[in-house]
Amino acid sequence: MTAPAEIFDRGYRRYEGDRAGVGQAMRSVAWHTIRSVLGIGRKGRHKVFPAIVALVAFLPSIAFLALTILIGDMLGEALRPPYWELFGLPIVVVVLFATLVAPEALVRDRRDGMFQLYLSTPLTKPTYLIAKFAAVMAVMAIVVAGPVLLLLIGYTIQSLGPDGFGAWLGVVARILLSSVVIVGFLAALSLGASSLTDRRAIASVGVLGALVGVSIVVGICVDAIGLRHELRVLDPLGAPIEMAARIFGEIGPAGESPGRATTPTWLVFAGASAWTTMWMGVLVARYRRLAAV
Amino acid sequence: MLGEVGLPVRTRNRRPEQLPVRAVSRMRGVAVLSTSGLTMQFGTHRALDAVSVDVPHGVTGLVGANGAGKTTLMSIALGLRPPTAGTVTVLGFDPGQHARQLRTRIGYVSERNVLPEDMPASDFVKHLAEVRGMPRHEAKGRASDALWLVGLGEERFRPLGTMSTGQRQRVKLAQAIAADPSLVLLDEPTDGLDPVQRDEMLALIRQISEDFSIDVVLSSHLLEEVERICDNIVALDAGRLVAHGRLDDLVGDTAIVTVELVEIDDRPGAVDAVEQHLQRVGLEVARDMTRLRVGGAEPHASLDAIRDAVASADARVRRISTDRTTLEDLFTGVSL
Repeated sequence: MTAPAEIFDRGYRRYEGDRAGVGQAMRSVAWHTIRSVLGIGRKGRHKVFPAIVALVAFLPSIAFLALTILIGDMLGEALRPPYWELFGLPIVVVVLFATLVAPEALVRDRRDGMFQLYLSTPLTKPTYLIAKFAAVMAVMAIVVAGPVLLLLIGYTIQSLGPDGFGAWLGVVARILLSSVVIVGFLAALSLGASSLTDRRAIASVGVLGALVGVSIVVGICVDAIGLRHELRVLDPLGAPIEMAARIFGEIGPAGESPGRATTPTWLVFAGASAWTTMWMGVLVARYRRLAAV
Repeated sequence: MLGEVGLPVRTRNRRPEQLPVRAVSRMRGVAVLSTSGLTMQFGTHRALDAVSVDVPHGVTGLVGANGAGKTTLMSIALGLRPPTAGTVTVLGFDPGQHARQLRTRIGYVSERNVLPEDMPASDFVKHLAEVRGMPRHEAKGRASDALWLVGLGEERFRPLGTMSTGQRQRVKLAQAIAADPSLVLLDEPTDGLDPVQRDEMLALIRQISEDFSIDVVLSSHLLEEVERICDNIVALDAGRLVAHGRLDDLVGDTAIVTVELVEIDDRPGAVDAVEQHLQRVGLEVARDMTRLRVGGAEPHASLDAIRDAVASADARVRRISTDRTTLEDLFTGVSL
């Protein structure tokens, strides 16, 4: 059934109807950002990178599902990865995505004058940043939560999912909570790093440095210099996976060290919170100084 | 109280009560923009210095050189900066307290000539209409209407990056009016336009005010264009208010008539005779060689006296004109 016909060109006229509040303004900015980042409504070349990244992010889940469908349960439960591990498998892709998404979401507005225009509307700097944060989280959730949820649905259809509806809901809740924590962490970090420059390419390098560079430094400190293994909670690449593992009640690779005590869960979250707070602080401080008009 | 004087107010059931601000403010004769002792200090630099002015309805030119304080005044009017001292009201409201509600009623065109390159004009205008509070189901139609109004109806699906400077300025104007504002703030809207494009843009601005009763505050350093379309002016110089009021009262014909005579050999003393004749009938005359500036009476009386003086002295006239004060004269007078 086709949509009812509408006439849009009625001539400019006065408007006396209701007006929406700042909530709609934030939703509109968030949706506009998501479209821009994913290349929706833009030329084909803008769609290529997001599409490839999304495809690669889903590959591990698709591979496991394909194996399961082809050989059934012969793969065995032991060989099937726990859900939290799937947050870590496409980590390279997630990092690549972060280097694209945040600069596109934030830097573009400053370069093409949209930031100024937004602040002449009911939006304020805080509501603008919240909308941007939500948009970045939503886009990153595609590559963070999407593959894990796909695997859960696939296993469930194959009768290999959690036993009982309650357990199934519990896994869904853990996946969603892990996703929110991970994308929140990555969004704060990548937006904070992107806020420091008005050039997208430099912002992408900055995001890469904040993720991969710091991760390498932490690795050197622990493995080469021999500092305490608890320092791994500050590894921006390891921390998200470790948090997901703890949410699933397990210990991840960054939380244990042979022959030593396991890093306490509170310390894992405290490390991630420290990074999140620091980069949020950078973001807020930077935007507080930006002139609106 | 906010609800009593016209801005939409969210009630408990989250349905906004709609009261037309424009009608209310016009009925009560509220100034579009009113300041009292408005001062803005940036470190040691005083961008605005105790500016007190009432901007009435219509098209108002905010004129002054670069750095005069025009953009600072606009940013305070939008509620983006609190003033260092003094008060400001826009459409009857304090922008500092009701900035968010007020900005749903204000359209703004930035001086910067940058726009999202790959976004179609219709998407851009629709998006900003939504952000300014236009319901989603209305925004698309209004974006289209606004683009037709500014003459870009056929071009509305083109990406902004493919448009000329003139078209992009029109798009900026369209986004400012799409959400049906009561007031539009235009910061140098003719910047970068050629003479034809500038004429068209000025005509559009005039049309917006006249046909749709949208008040316009137009910031410009081009005095000639302000003189052409504005009803009122506010002139700033280094943060100080140097003139304000209706344009008709500030510029236009003066009571001075200038007559330039021709000194020819067979009529010696003709210029002296004209000067003396005019002085005898009680007019004030300032002479510069063969040019006489005549004042002290209504222009038509001066012209009659000049005619009689020229006839009696059998003098020959090269040029005669009524002096006119321009905006430039106002600024020049201040500078001197």
